[in-house]
Amino acid sequence: MPDRTTMPDRTTMPYTEFQTLKLHRRGPVGWLLFNRPDSLNAMNAGMRAELADAWLELDRDPDVRVIVHTGEGRAFQTGVDVAELATDGLGMERYRADLEAYDLHFTAWQQQVSKPVIAAVNGICAGGGFHWVSDADVVIAATTAEFTEPHVSVGQVVAMESIGLLRKMPFEAVMRMALVGRHERMSAQRAYELGMVSQLVPPDQLRDAAQELAEKIARNSPAAMAATKRALWGALETGLTEACRQGAREVVSVWGHPDQDEGPRAFAEKREPRWAEPERAEPEASPR
Amino acid sequence: MSGPYRGLLVERDGPVGWLIFDRPEVGNAMDAAMLADLPRAWADLDADPDVRVIVNTGNGPAFQTGLDVRQLAGDRDALREQSRRTKRADLRISAWHNHVGKPVIAAVNGVCAGGGLHFVADADIAIAAERAAFLDPHVSLGQASAFELIGLARRGAVEPVMRIGLTGRHERLSAARAYELGLVSAVVPDARAAARELAEKIARNPPETVRLVKQQLWRALELGLTAARREAAVIAARSPLAAPAPASQQELLGEPPCR
Repeated sequence: MPDRTTMPDRTTMPYTEFQTLKLHRRGPVGWLLFNRPDSLNAMNAGMRAELADAWLELDRDPDVRVIVHTGEGRAFQTGVDVAELATDGLGMERYRADLEAYDLHFTAWQQQVSKPVIAAVNGICAGGGFHWVSDADVVIAATTAEFTEPHVSVGQVVAMESIGLLRKMPFEAVMRMALVGRHERMSAQRAYELGMVSQLVPPDQLRDAAQELAEKIARNSPAAMAATKRALWGALETGLTEACRQGAREVVSVWGHPDQDEGPRAFAEKREPRWAEPERAEPEASPR
Repeated sequence: MSGPYRGLLVERDGPVGWLIFDRPEVGNAMDAAMLADLPRAWADLDADPDVRVIVNTGNGPAFQTGLDVRQLAGDRDALREQSRRTKRADLRISAWHNHVGKPVIAAVNGVCAGGGLHFVADADIAIAAERAAFLDPHVSLGQASAFELIGLARRGAVEPVMRIGLTGRHERLSAARAYELGLVSAVVPDARAAARELAEKIARNPPETVRLVKQQLWRALELGLTAARREAAVIAARSPLAAPAPASQQELLGEPPCR
């Protein structure tokens, strides 16, 4: 059976032709594929720049309600492209200023994407690849996926992606991966047990499963989901009481929204709701 | 090393430093002497240039069962010192209390009770023997429990931590359940052998980088997500490459370079 997710809908908004990524839409689902399979989808400077635009394109497309990202080939993502670092004379220097200024734009979280984001981990996820696991809202994985954090083994400090992970799953597992480096890999099964991913799927069914999950999520109110996302990610920033205070603001923010009439009405009339067109709130000025 | 240490064995074996509780006749409980010597034991292992990773375990059937209440009841000075430190939240028991910079593996060889939980809550990595079990009898003795449980609750699911805090001595969390919850990353027949193998893997990584990673991940428990990441980004930007860069993603992963 052909993989239906590779047969995109005609989109009302043609996407940019990227060098390192593929974008398409299938129904309400916007797909973002890492497309450097020969380099295990490593992020080179080009991909880093393209990701910043790709997230915003999908977030702004009114026909997209949920975003799924995955990788072409055997890897999901293996972090910064070490071959480029080794050969172009710039090495990590090219990123130093952005890091010092904390001016990063390659994940959905960094780009303050308002729509739900599902990461579908199709194969190995290594090092910087954890950025997209830690910064996704929902993560599913192929049963054959593997996770490893080689940064320390090559003398690099891993931090931002591990810090994201340790807000979302047990600390010990994150610290163990960070300290053991490339000398160990975590199985998809253990990632599932620890709650790093919520569903395991045979590799040939991963994209269909991601599409199916995304379509479920797409049945919910976009405005309500955007506010829920802000409340839950915001809660990772503060203590419990303060998070609830800020969460209250999000709850109240959707009061009076047309979706709050439409939801119950559709339920009573036994039909799918017709939600208001989502609006992307433009990101705050402060970078993250 | 500036031994001997009372109630503790401090040893080195290759790149692995061992801090072993050695009062097996009382479940390795901490008496005044052990409490007094723990800071020096941690500091000596942390300062020893040949030690890359520290493993913490116990002799005998228990791992650690907390304060030796009977001994301390008869040692007024030690009791006063401990009370003072508790009031100020200024304990000197665990690696974290003593600002150890090297990775610490808790190899929980048996029962871990009450104050013994400090050594799990404050370890970087924890593994357990099959016979290990976790409990916090404080409330069954009329004592409040705080530091150990707060530390554990930061490491994963909160409900199981609250449960051991409130059930006191009347319930134990098994090693198998601790593994399911991610409080430990392995349950093994022989905790020492498994810890040594794990420590040797970590010891292959450059020590300065390992130290920075450990520091940043613990620091992240003090801050909100964005603030923690911002600090970490600056540290990453300022840390020089301590090892030659690999030539390909495959080499980075320790795979053969050919496709």
